Amino acid sequence: MIDNFDRRDFLKVLGWGGAAVALSGCGNTSVEDGREIVTSYSEPAEYVIPSIGVYFNSTCAQCDAGCSIMGRVREGRVLKLEGNPDSSINRGKTCGLGQAGVQAHYNPDRIREPLLRSGDKGEAITWDKALELINSKLAGVKGEEVAFLTGGTSGHINVLLKNYLAALGSSNHYAYDAVSPSVVRAANKKAYGVEMPRLRLDKAKVVLSFGADFLGAWVSPVHFSQQYAQFRKGTRPEGRGVLVQVESKMTLTGANADRWLAIRPGTEGILALGLIHALGAAGMKIPGGIAQDYSLERVSKDTGISAEQITKLAALLKERTPSLVIAGSAAEGYAHGTQNAAAIALLNQVLGNVGKTVQFPAVVPFPQVLPTVGNRYALQALNDEMAQGKVKVLFNYGANPVYSAPAAMKLKENLGKVPFKVAFAHYMDETALQADLVLPLDSALEDWATSVPEYMAEEAQINIQQPLMEKLYPGTRGMGDILLALLKQRRADEYKGYEDFYSYLHSAVLQNKVALGGTGKDDDAFWTATLSKGLLKLPCDAGKISDKITPTAIALPAPFAADDAYPLQLIPAVSASLRDGRHANLPWLQESPDPLTTIVWDSWVEIHPKTAARLGIVEGDIVEVTAKNGSIKAQAYLFPGIHPDAVSVPLGNGHEAMGRYAKGVGVNVFNILDAVFDKGTGELAMHETRVKVSKTGKRVVIVKDEGSAGGQQMGRKIAARVTSDKVDLSGEV
Amino acid sequence: MYVGIVLVGGLNILLGEPLTMVRFLRFSVLLVGLCTAVAGHANTAQPITTADDLGPKVEQPIEFPHDRHAGDMQINCMYCHTYARRSIVSGIPPLQKCIGCHQSIESVRETPRIKKLFEYWEGSKDGTIAPKTPIPWKKVHDLPDFVRFNHERHIQRFYFQQEKPVQEVCGYCHGDVKTMTVARRSKSLSMGWCVSCHEKDHAVDAVSTKTTQGPNDCWQCHK
Amino acid sequence: MSVTNLLENWSQFRHKHPVGDQPHEEYKWAMSIDLDACTGCNACSVACYAENNLPVVGKEKYSHGFAHHWIRVERYWDADGRDFPDQGAQFLPMMCQQCEAAPCETVCPVGATNHTADGLNSQVYNRCIGSRYCEANCPYKVRYFNWYDYPTTDNVWPEPMNQQLNPDVTVRGKGVMEKCTFCVQRLTAAKSNARTEGRTVRDGEVQTACQQACPTNAISFGNLVDPEAMVGKQWMQQQVQLDKDKQAKDAEEAASKLRGYRILEELRAYPSVMYLERVRESAI
Repeated sequence: MIDNFDRRDFLKVLGWGGAAVALSGCGNTSVEDGREIVTSYSEPAEYVIPSIGVYFNSTCAQCDAGCSIMGRVREGRVLKLEGNPDSSINRGKTCGLGQAGVQAHYNPDRIREPLLRSGDKGEAITWDKALELINSKLAGVKGEEVAFLTGGTSGHINVLLKNYLAALGSSNHYAYDAVSPSVVRAANKKAYGVEMPRLRLDKAKVVLSFGADFLGAWVSPVHFSQQYAQFRKGTRPEGRGVLVQVESKMTLTGANADRWLAIRPGTEGILALGLIHALGAAGMKIPGGIAQDYSLERVSKDTGISAEQITKLAALLKERTPSLVIAGSAAEGYAHGTQNAAAIALLNQVLGNVGKTVQFPAVVPFPQVLPTVGNRYALQALNDEMAQGKVKVLFNYGANPVYSAPAAMKLKENLGKVPFKVAFAHYMDETALQADLVLPLDSALEDWATSVPEYMAEEAQINIQQPLMEKLYPGTRGMGDILLALLKQRRADEYKGYEDFYSYLHSAVLQNKVALGGTGKDDDAFWTATLSKGLLKLPCDAGKISDKITPTAIALPAPFAADDAYPLQLIPAVSASLRDGRHANLPWLQESPDPLTTIVWDSWVEIHPKTAARLGIVEGDIVEVTAKNGSIKAQAYLFPGIHPDAVSVPLGNGHEAMGRYAKGVGVNVFNILDAVFDKGTGELAMHETRVKVSKTGKRVVIVKDEGSAGGQQMGRKIAARVTSDKVDLSGEV
Repeated sequence: MYVGIVLVGGLNILLGEPLTMVRFLRFSVLLVGLCTAVAGHANTAQPITTADDLGPKVEQPIEFPHDRHAGDMQINCMYCHTYARRSIVSGIPPLQKCIGCHQSIESVRETPRIKKLFEYWEGSKDGTIAPKTPIPWKKVHDLPDFVRFNHERHIQRFYFQQEKPVQEVCGYCHGDVKTMTVARRSKSLSMGWCVSCHEKDHAVDAVSTKTTQGPNDCWQCHK
Repeated sequence: MSVTNLLENWSQFRHKHPVGDQPHEEYKWAMSIDLDACTGCNACSVACYAENNLPVVGKEKYSHGFAHHWIRVERYWDADGRDFPDQGAQFLPMMCQQCEAAPCETVCPVGATNHTADGLNSQVYNRCIGSRYCEANCPYKVRYFNWYDYPTTDNVWPEPMNQQLNPDVTVRGKGVMEKCTFCVQRLTAAKSNARTEGRTVRDGEVQTACQQACPTNAISFGNLVDPEAMVGKQWMQQQVQLDKDKQAKDAEEAASKLRGYRILEELRAYPSVMYLERVRESAI
């Protein structure tokens, strides 16, 4: 084993035991002399002590929340990621997704060398050839015919990317994120003047969330989980906070609510206005004209939530201030999503929360590194351009639209109209498979980058991502290095001073040393300290959030009438671990049970027991979910946490590519979504697909963690619960 | 005997009888076939006590003379095995360390062993050894992979706290290395042998009369 | 030691640790888990996979119950017959409770699982013969058996995934039992460092992997012997005593208004994990 061990300098290592134990698995069982070879460093680094892990700070790249991490590095290998306590975003904590970052790095299905399409196969070519090919393909192509598709980007990668497009004479940067809260962003901008205000769960006495899964998959889950822990403390001056969640399908956040309200899909805005009406009825002063038509009876009838419950909720909101109302992806996923989100923001304003629990966010004072956040509209725009044959060269970095675009968009077909497609990718995913040239990227644990998260906590920060170990494969390159090489093809003089992306970052940081808080410090010392901390905290002036009530005309449609052909609403659920499908190839996440259903390694259809009984469906039945644009077949799971008018299928599985752990697992619900768009923003409305569910006659045993008792405690005190009036939290430590 | 183990389940009563324990240990290994690669001589009975239980002679890439370094020159063991006081492993000295001294010791520069050493540092003339190649030393004291012996604890306890001479402390397990050229195992390193020392009373430091025994729970070494 | 003696003094042997005839001297590792803070997100479980070299067994083997999650998050629903679980779900992180009188220990034919001086229930792989009696006897169902030789099973640790394996933790082969160790490799390292500095481990100096990851700080872990330790303060405040199988506070006429409890305490296994009941607002 040790004989085969890579002997590059960085790995010249191993004392007694050490990695040998791990690598050989279960090795010899007795004292054996002279069989194994001990390899020592030839020139050891000072900080290396064999068998002792050293931590290096970096930034998690598993989602766009920008948590700071520390990687435990031992004998040249990164073994585990922990949260960096210095970051005000995650304060030393991580989620399962973040933990699995090492599996993205060590994934056996990573692409290891540049591949050029040759028929159906990829042929390995050198980097020089690949870059030269790009250069030659761009010759004779007009600037506006070049497009760059990415996920959310930020930091200096974003700067180089924009500069490269500018050098090509193009402004076509499409940032696509299939599950981003883009409608809420727009509504927030209108109501508060900022897209992503700072939400103070820690200060709120009541949190009313309309389908925002802030503990699971929404915006910055680890940060909100930290806040949530504060919010739940009985020893807090405000007392233990109360969480009320309104949604049609129970999310992880909903499962933690003091009261979970199953609302008829799409009527979130009606409930928000109904609550304003009820607050007025309870004596709160409501600016004239708002929500007059939303009487208790009407709202109760439309939303399916009892009048008693609405009254109780209004009373709670009136009595316990400040509260915090959050609009999430369930509220925004309709053709009237903007209206829903506006109604919910209005409730926040009426309750006087703006300025108290909805605050102006910290902002990094360097506009060029600010994030370009992804949305769904970008993909539609690109798709239209491609359909019309206007795109001649397409670059794709970090997006997988062939997997995540609804079939109705015909994206794959339109991609075929682009003569030259380049994919910068870690794995052969569905989109990389369509590319003409695939350029393999370094993993996030091998690469340099800076990132600026969209959601900031109390401090503005620029996160540093740095290599935690030597590259696993010599044939991969960092995104920054590639962009720099491409820029050198266009603007050689401007970039000739930068040998690589590292030197670019180095000088970018040092040029702004004073603004970054390094006044009077030696350059080298400042740079080393920055890398050592893994983040730069920046002074920033707190802006003021607009707290005036903006009663814009809100037009909410009547709830959807029953449709005999397609009677059920399809809710594509964002799973906290698989998200938009980009993590489906990480085995820890596939084997980590879905928190609510405890299902692993598959997709499923959540259906309310009542609806299931009506349709004669029992657990494990393979059902066909048919929409106007196609159908999927998956196992049925009887789930009490869903509105009887809806069914839900999790997003993320159903890959046709992406390696051994993802391919062929479950079904892809993106495929069958209707192409319905939010009227306010043009975003794809994720929850606007109507379906019918029918049995196929097949049945399977669902693979799940839940026992045969189906999650019942059988009268034992196992997971115990107590009501707040029967417990004294004040003395707790 | 069997009943006692089954019911009490604790290790304490077993510890008084190392013979039994070792037999049980071997029993479990053979029965389960825990690992596929059981080495040939692991199956043959080994004596379990034994100060004179010499391990096999191991041929090393360079016949390193411990006797010159630790004996004649009186170099502290931890000058080369520098991690022993702060890590579970003692560490094989990096090539740089050997060269650090030997590049200024002209008198032995042309001896075969030192010439060989410099081949690893500078690369061999025939190109078979690249410059700065780590020397492929063979492990001499190679415990089973499920045993995690901690050098740091033993060095801290006996060398730093009890202030015993370093060669004596290292010698508890490694024997009289200063008389050897290439090191050779001279203790059995079986579990019974470890336990026989752990159950003795050892002074906590150089001056105190207070004594403690070594830990005797399994997780100290197996985890 | 005769059978008669054992049978007659059975309770004494079972009680050896909790009843205080042999109190813990330096360390007694214990945990408390606040179910009101736990959101059921599973970060703890994935962190445990990363730290402890747990194999990913795949769908087929998972369906046979062969999964190796040393810490799993159980999910319960109310059994009240209503249409919706309108007070959410009940989540419970369940791992080895490190019982002081562990039912698993007494049935091991080879003494492969037994009690350490730190109050941990140790599992020694090289001693285990795979009888699985311990698993059968564990009331919490937190012991996991290696039905396969995962290091050599396809796609469990394919190259280069094996480079992620933690060298401080044995990679288990076929035929041995395994379970949560309270991250004993971290405890041993912390104890060793402390001993070198001539002190005991300070509170907060060592964290288990699940605790370190937990986004809501629902898990506290520490040394019950240390009066400064958070975990001890919590146990004390909640009036949960390690060596009792019936807590005095539960006997009080009026409810104690405290929410600390141990699971299946009545089985007299004296678990080292205290849970704090989930709270639900009565005003809504």
